[in-house]
Amino acid sequence: MKTLSLKNLRKTYFDPYAGSQVTAVHDVSLDVEQGEFVSVVGPSGCGKTTILNMIAGFIPYTGDEILIDGNLVKGPGPDRGVVFQSFALFPWKTVLENVGFGPKMRGVPKDERDRTAREYLALAGLSHAADRYPNELSGGMQQRVGVVRALANNPAVLLMDEPFASVDAQTRMTLQEELTRIWQERKPTVIFITHDVAEAVFLANRVVVLSKGRVLDQIKVDLPRPRVWDHLIEDETFKRLSAQVLQMVRAA
Amino acid sequence: MLVAPGQKVRSRVAWRGMNSLVGAALFVAPLLVLVAIWAIVVPLFNVNPRIFPSVGSVAEAAVAAIGDGSLIRHIGASMLRVGLGTFLGVLVAVPLGIAMGVSPAVSAFLTPLFRFFSVLAGIAWIPIATLWFGYGFGAIIFVIFNAVFFVVAYNTLLGVSTIPMTIRNAAASLGAGRWALLTEVLLPGALPNIVTGVRTGLGFAWRGLIAAEMIATNVGLGYMLFVARDFYRTEVIVLGMIVIGVLWLFIDRLLLVPLERATIERWGLVRRT
Amino acid sequence: MNIALRFWSGYVRTTHRWPIIATIVPFIPVVAIWSIVANSGMFPRAFFPAPVDVMRSFISLTYKGILPDYLQDSLIRLLFGATIGVALGIPLGILIGSSRLAHRICWPVLLFFQAIGDIAWLPILLIWFGFGLTTMTFVIVYTVLFPIVLSTVLGVQSVHRDLARAAQSLGASPMRVLWEVTLPGALPNIITGLRNGLGYGWRALIAVEIIVGTSGIGFMMFDARRAGSTVEILLGMIVLGTLWYIVDAWILAPIERATGQRWGLVTS
Ligand SMILES: Nc1ncnc2c1ncn2[C@@H]1O[C@H](COP(=O)(O)OP(=O)(O)O)[C@@H](O)[C@H]1O
Ligand SMILES: [Mg+2]
Repeated sequence: MKTLSLKNLRKTYFDPYAGSQVTAVHDVSLDVEQGEFVSVVGPSGCGKTTILNMIAGFIPYTGDEILIDGNLVKGPGPDRGVVFQSFALFPWKTVLENVGFGPKMRGVPKDERDRTAREYLALAGLSHAADRYPNELSGGMQQRVGVVRALANNPAVLLMDEPFASVDAQTRMTLQEELTRIWQERKPTVIFITHDVAEAVFLANRVVVLSKGRVLDQIKVDLPRPRVWDHLIEDETFKRLSAQVLQMVRAA
Repeated sequence: MLVAPGQKVRSRVAWRGMNSLVGAALFVAPLLVLVAIWAIVVPLFNVNPRIFPSVGSVAEAAVAAIGDGSLIRHIGASMLRVGLGTFLGVLVAVPLGIAMGVSPAVSAFLTPLFRFFSVLAGIAWIPIATLWFGYGFGAIIFVIFNAVFFVVAYNTLLGVSTIPMTIRNAAASLGAGRWALLTEVLLPGALPNIVTGVRTGLGFAWRGLIAAEMIATNVGLGYMLFVARDFYRTEVIVLGMIVIGVLWLFIDRLLLVPLERATIERWGLVRRT
Repeated sequence: MNIALRFWSGYVRTTHRWPIIATIVPFIPVVAIWSIVANSGMFPRAFFPAPVDVMRSFISLTYKGILPDYLQDSLIRLLFGATIGVALGIPLGILIGSSRLAHRICWPVLLFFQAIGDIAWLPILLIWFGFGLTTMTFVIVYTVLFPIVLSTVLGVQSVHRDLARAAQSLGASPMRVLWEVTLPGALPNIITGLRNGLGYGWRALIAVEIIVGTSGIGFMMFDARRAGSTVEILLGMIVLGTLWYIVDAWILAPIERATGQRWGLVTS
């Protein structure tokens, strides 16, 4: 069953400084099955963020259509959870309130949404931080909150735009392993954007390679789960797939 | 076992109470020393009461002014004006500032306008205010209103436009509608700036009030000072100055500063002096 | 649609090249509305003059030399007072900021005297010094002084102790530490204080000129008020607003931003 379907997506920006048009996305079509984890990888400036923003509804899309569970996308909505590179946590809300924000918007009473939020915080090992404010947490912890905040809202698709790009390398690996673990437990549909080839292969069932606003190729990743870096780093299949994707990205 | 947590809390509260008591004492002590010096110096050098009053005469003036109710009347008039003008100013400025700040293009366009008027806010409006509204309540309220209004509106505008777009997007993608965006994101996000704006605006308004009362009315602390000058009643002037200082200290330190601290520091939004 | 985009693009590019245009353009509709309201006869013209009237008065007062003279008087008073305020405020601030005891003792006194506010001093100053320059200068110094002292103290305290230790262990004498570490470290705060101080200072100047009144823009405005000449009051306000806008937005704010952000000390 298709959860997300993009048909002939295009996007042209108007640059007021240059007074000219910039085409960021040329013609992108993509189908994502329910419970699939899709990585989108490509060099910076190839239109990844633009595509994600159109799916999220942050910018109006142009082209044929974007369907979520068969419904046309109209602006941002709770059916698409977003995890941002800059975390985008509400600084004036505690961790618990941040995670409970989605349920609150749906009118869930306080007791119940606090319970849900605590459940999700436990999933990310953050129970102890529930009453702290975001600026009192490390970057890695902040992004864990960002991820469970999106998950707690039960979105049909989880959209992640280079979510681990601004944390240190060790933390990034831990976060990646945690994400695969959470994905296995909950099986959300995920679109994960990154420019890091190893990250893309490590996480996904399928890697989509993007170049200059077009889909260059797609590669299935059949690595066994649970995935942990200690094993995969030596794994021949992982190495081969990574090399293959890297070649495509560099050739692009 | 059952009592322990409650006790702990109570003793902590008591400790905090002690602490703030000690803090207050440490704060007041240097001021008392100052009063002591004043009490010694004035008789020692035989200062002419027309130049500077003795502690005793100021105390007598205070007793007299409290006794005949005039001090309360002046304080009441001043506080009413400041309270009302500030209330109206904030009431209009915050919604307006947020509405204007919602669109980045609109807020960029309007920023110079509000900056211009906030630069002008306060005392510079006294002449035209007295011409438009006559001497009295209306003119003073107008001066205070616009001292607060423009500064708060400008700061609100600034505050809303500094909220990162991603935070607004995050709220929208979690299902926040227009109203929720306003109450959950724009208002709290702009709050530190709003509070700073109120503090600055109130500072201008307070001075504007004293100035306007000297010029344009027949009741209020500014008026009390200015009339006393006509009769060389320095003890009344000094009493008025002390009252003005203490009132402002209470407003600023017990109301505005803690509010600013609470929002700014806890949320880690901006670190300021 | 396309024309609108073209137009917007043109505006963005022009204002990018000459930012001053972005400052001026928003005032055009305001002046236009003002002009329309004034000409509509909604209010009597003497009560609510039009922009042309103010312009005419600006030209005639400039031509007669009154406006430049008054402006000069006001600016010199402000500059004079501010200079004294800075010269007193920074050393005082450093002194109070670098000693815990001095801080304990002086901080409440400072806060109290700041709370009294400049204008409340006017009546007693008038008794002491009469209507004259001394009174005006006192008020301005008083106004400028406190924000500078308070921010200098905060600035000095915000300089990390390890910085001073580092300098000492590199062989700096206490005086050198003050000059090379404490002062530069406190500079962003000092400039913020100066900006606030001048902001309060020129307002105080206006009030003093209104009440003490012999010359200056504040005097001009209140003199006009006595004569019921709205035009000159508005002219005074516009001159003041423009002047202060230029000083604040194009001189003080950029300096404040430059020192604070360049060194990564202010995160706003
Ligand atoms: N708001 C915008 N206005 C004009 N051009 C833009 C805008 N956003 C992105 N672009 C341009 O579109 C292209 C793709 O950008 P983006 O989607 O952010 O790429 P990526 O996320 O893959 O790095 C880039 O050339 C970028 O300069
Ligand atoms: Mg991007």
